[in-house]
Amino acid sequence: MLQRIWAVIQKEFIQTLRDRRTLIIQLGLPLVQMLIFGYAIRTDVRNIPLVVADQSLDRASRAFVQALTVSGYFDVVNYVADEAQAIHAIDEGRAQAGVVILPGFAADVERNGAQVLLLVDGSDVFTSQTAYNAITAIAQSHSKEVLVSRLLRAGRLSNADQLLPLDTRVRILYNPNLLDLWFVIPGIVAVILQTQTITLTAAAVVRERESGTIEQILVTPIRPFELLIGKIAPNIVIAIVNMLTILALGVLWFETPFQGNFWLFFGLACLYVLSGLGMGLLVSAISENQKQSQQTAMMLMLIGLVLGGFIFPRYLMPPVIRAVGNLFPLTYFIPIARGIITKGIGVATLWEQVIVLAVYVGVVMFFATRAFRRNLD
Amino acid sequence: MNAQRLFAIIKKETIQMIRDWPTLLMIILMPVLELFLFAYVGDMTLDHLPTAVADLSRDSSSRAFINALEVSGFFDVVQYVGSENEVIRAIDDNQVNVGLVIPPDFAGQVERGTAQALVIIDGSDSFVVQSGYSAATAIAQVHGMQLMLQTAQRMGMGSLGQLPIDTSTRILYNPNIDEIVFLIPGLAAMLLQLIGVNATVMAVVRERELGTMEQMLVTPARPVELILGKIVPPVGLITVDLVIIILLGVFWFKVPFQGSIWLFSWLSLLFIVSGLGMGLALSTVSKNQKQAQQISAMIMMVTMLLTGLIYPRSTMPPVVRAVGNLIPATYFIRIARGIITKGVGLAYMWEDVVALLVYGAIIVTVSAATFKTRLD
Repeated sequence: MLQRIWAVIQKEFIQTLRDRRTLIIQLGLPLVQMLIFGYAIRTDVRNIPLVVADQSLDRASRAFVQALTVSGYFDVVNYVADEAQAIHAIDEGRAQAGVVILPGFAADVERNGAQVLLLVDGSDVFTSQTAYNAITAIAQSHSKEVLVSRLLRAGRLSNADQLLPLDTRVRILYNPNLLDLWFVIPGIVAVILQTQTITLTAAAVVRERESGTIEQILVTPIRPFELLIGKIAPNIVIAIVNMLTILALGVLWFETPFQGNFWLFFGLACLYVLSGLGMGLLVSAISENQKQSQQTAMMLMLIGLVLGGFIFPRYLMPPVIRAVGNLFPLTYFIPIARGIITKGIGVATLWEQVIVLAVYVGVVMFFATRAFRRNLD
Repeated sequence: MNAQRLFAIIKKETIQMIRDWPTLLMIILMPVLELFLFAYVGDMTLDHLPTAVADLSRDSSSRAFINALEVSGFFDVVQYVGSENEVIRAIDDNQVNVGLVIPPDFAGQVERGTAQALVIIDGSDSFVVQSGYSAATAIAQVHGMQLMLQTAQRMGMGSLGQLPIDTSTRILYNPNIDEIVFLIPGLAAMLLQLIGVNATVMAVVRERELGTMEQMLVTPARPVELILGKIVPPVGLITVDLVIIILLGVFWFKVPFQGSIWLFSWLSLLFIVSGLGMGLALSTVSKNQKQAQQISAMIMMVTMLLTGLIYPRSTMPPVVRAVGNLIPATYFIRIARGIITKGVGLAYMWEDVVALLVYGAIIVTVSAATFKTRLD
């Protein structure tokens, strides 16, 4: 049996190596993706284009607009005359937020009755949330400064600290400077590997079926299970190379610190790669032609991407949807990758995910073999 | 070009498409499934974050502060622990995402104006950090401000009862910041492009791999007719998908359609054609279906992450934004949001429309040209 598996593996390796162009694409594309996505994904929205309708143009209003820009959250792109023009600028997409300051702002501030209107483009959720939070916080701290300086001027207060009874410090664990990249990189590694492994094997069996060579293999003494193992072998090598190269890119190029144990990560990543390849194989075994396997693979990748916790946090999902997400290895690997790379935790806190992944590999291979055998008859 | 020959090819492609009915069914049902999953998943505001509290004071001030955090709805205190280390351990174990540490003698410190509370946030999840960070700071600030106003009042500065500047916010187009309103237009764009690219890439490459392309070429059909013939049936199919998605979005998910449905239909057609054109261009660079799959998987990821569907494009560096510009969905997502969500007309989005037109024209011409040369 080992001899037969070895023969299939040899055949597959020869075929893989012969098709240089495909091999280069398989090895190169994940790197390109890592590079692009590493730069692309930022969830901390800064420099929101802001249009200002300052109808006061006095010292107080200018100080307020100044406070908005120095915060880094807003960039003033345009000054307009009134609210209607500000909305127009947002309609056109030139600005995503607008501030309207009514006439007589300085006097209103003196009377503690100043009002500022913020307009936010609600068609972009990330931006509107950030803009909303930012302006509320900025207005408050600005108010505080105005008050304190007024009291200091009046001589009612000798020291600003007297009026600030509570100070809250926030400490971010694992990622103290809030570098977005540190969150993103482990997730990207997991996601790219999912796409890559499913793609690698999705066409494996169905291709031979389509070109008729599967019949030739089946008249040999090779059993279906042995054929599947042989089919997976070169892809394991490719996927592991993919994993190492994108991880190296993340750590060396994007300078994401690797906090945990590398070998633990490597072992679990191999398990994850196997589960992805098994999933692709299953797709391949149930599809009649490559077009179908392609569609199915795409759908699986997309669902994994959406439900796996890379983009949307999983504990906000309704239970049914979360259960669907449980069918994807990505769901288990994202906590593993974030845990080991960013948090530096060990297998003690991750054992649940590890067991599930291991079971997953077994189950998916079993179903792939069964589906393959049934489709042969 | 000859209408009769073109019609013959369209007929052949349609027959082939219908014969492979499992694939056909998948192409029609996939977007519906995706739409439902996305729609129920896309909740991006985190509240009720599980929180551990180490209250080392247990006095009225500390309780008031914890209470302020809880009533905000952003934090749910699920555990009371004894020390900062235990808080960190709870975060390490993924039991909670946020911790609050209140030092001993909090009330006395508040009196003296030296109180310090510590909020610890799980930094491994950017959503948690974002929501948790801004919520914790805002709540602490409001609470601090209230304490400050109280102190001021006690010090005889009664006039301080109100803050000098107050903000009010109006969210345009989407007043409740409803994620589904944000997602549906973009989702429609992404799914349409995905199906378009897949359908054409696989159709052309498959024919080449199986050798039937040669047979097509010995017929009098010209390359342009072949390409158009290949494009027309998927355009029909994708239009069906589009109609389903929009109907579901408007009637099931109650996304208000603010703009002109006609304008949207015409621009969608333009977009579908440019998506298919991209598929054709990709199919001319792929030698076999394996390569085609690799490339379309990458296109899918790029579309998902770079076109503004989820992550805002304004935060991306220029080079990455330029990569996104190669994908027609980038233009169409802005158009779709403009028409569906904002309700604006052509005057507000002509740049994107022109870009899409130019894109479609170039990509179809280029792929027709390369198609011809590759055949020799």
